[in-house]
Amino acid sequence: MKYALYLGCTIPLRVPNYELATRRVMDKLGVELVDIEDAGCCGIYHEQINELTHLAMAGSIIAKAEDIGLDIMVMCNGCNESLIKANKRLKEDADLRRKVNEILSKIDLEFKGNINIKHYIRVLYEDYGVDKIRKKVVNSLDNLKIAAHYGCHIFKPTDIIQFEDFEDPESLDVLIEATGAKSIDYLDKKLCCGGYVLGYKKEVAYEISGYKLQNIKDAGADLIVTICPFCNIMYEANQRAIESQLNKQFKIPVLHYPQLLGIAMGFSYKDMAMELNRVRIDPKLFE
Amino acid sequence: MSIRDEVLSEIDGETIVFCQSCGICTGGCPSARFSKYNPRRIIHKTNLNMDPGDDIWLCATCYTCQERCPRGIKITDFMNLLRRIYIKEKGMPDFIDTLIENLKNAGYTTQLGEIENKRRERMNLPKINTADYIKRILELTEG
Repeated sequence: MKYALYLGCTIPLRVPNYELATRRVMDKLGVELVDIEDAGCCGIYHEQINELTHLAMAGSIIAKAEDIGLDIMVMCNGCNESLIKANKRLKEDADLRRKVNEILSKIDLEFKGNINIKHYIRVLYEDYGVDKIRKKVVNSLDNLKIAAHYGCHIFKPTDIIQFEDFEDPESLDVLIEATGAKSIDYLDKKLCCGGYVLGYKKEVAYEISGYKLQNIKDAGADLIVTICPFCNIMYEANQRAIESQLNKQFKIPVLHYPQLLGIAMGFSYKDMAMELNRVRIDPKLFE
Repeated sequence: MSIRDEVLSEIDGETIVFCQSCGICTGGCPSARFSKYNPRRIIHKTNLNMDPGDDIWLCATCYTCQERCPRGIKITDFMNLLRRIYIKEKGMPDFIDTLIENLKNAGYTTQLGEIENKRRERMNLPKINTADYIKRILELTEG
C-alpha cells in the first residue's frame, strides 16, 4: 500500500507529534508514504471567501499528487473535506475544470482527475483492515476507557465524502477497540468541537468544546482520541483556556489516534512524541 | 441585485425557498446551543429579502443541519454563500486578515518561522518550505 502524504498547515507547524506518530505507525504497518513536496494550504477557508480560490488551491494539491501517481492520504478532517469536494467538482464539471486549469497552468500544474483522496482512518478501516491491525498489537490497552471524537468533515457532507453514516459511525470506535481499549459512549459524542468558530467568537467555540469535555469527564473516560489536528487543538492546546473561561477543571489527556495505536504496537511514549502533548499523560496509563 | 435574488440564483442558495420552518437545523446546531446563532431565522430573513446580519459567521460548518434538513436545503453551503456575498459587499472581516496574511507570506494558514522548522529538525522531520505558488493563486483568483 502506497499513498501520497498531504500534511496541510496545522499538522506540520503546530502538532508535529501527530505527524511523527503517524509516519512511524504507518511505516511499521507497511503503508508506504511519499511526501507531496512544497504543498501549501488545501484552501478550505476559501470555500467561504472565494470558490475559485478554493478550487485552485485544492486542485493544485491534487495535481501534485497526480504527478507522483498516487492517491492522497490526509490526516486532517478539514483537508479531507476540502480536497474531496474539489476533486469531485473538478472531475464532474468540465467548464470549471477548464477555468481552474487555466490558473494552474501558470504555476505549471494541471488537474487531470485520476486520483482519489482518503483520510488515514479510512485507509486503516477500509483498505488495511481492522483484523490485520489487531495482529500488530503487542501491548493490549485493556484497562483504558477512551472517548472517541470523530469531528465533522471525516464524513460530512455525506453525499460528497461517501464514507459512513454520520448519525451512527463506527470506524474510530472499532479502530480504538482494536488496541484492546474500550471506546465508551458519552452524551453528544458526534457534536462538532466548535473549532471553526474560534476565529470569529472564541468564547462560543470554547463553550462548545467545554460542554463536550464535561460530558467526556462525566462518562469517566481516561483520555480523548482525535483524528483531526483542529479538534485536537480545541481539546488539547485550548483545554486550559476553556477551563479558565468555564471555571472548571478537566485535565483530560488527548491523544492523536496514531499515538494510541503506536503505544499498542509497542512504541514507547517518547517514540510517539507524547512529551509534546500539552495535557500531561501519565505513562502508567499504558502499563 | 437584492440579497434574496442573489441567493436564489446560486446553486448553494436556491434550495432555501423550500424551508418549512421546522427548526431541526437550529435544534441540532452546536453554535446555536451556545450563542444567539439561529440558522432557521437566517433562512427566513433571506427569504424575506432582509439582511441576514453578522451571525452568519457563527456557523461551525459542521454540516449537521444540511444532513438533517427534511426539505433537503443545503444550509451549510448557503451559509458559505452568504459569507462570500458579505465579503463581496462589505469586505473581509478583520478576523480573517491574519489567515490571508499567513497564506500570502508562506502558503500556510499558520505562521511558518524558524521555530517551527527547528523543532521539526530536532524531531527528524523534513523541513517545511514556503509554498509561494499559493500567493500566485491568490493573485490570479483575487482571493
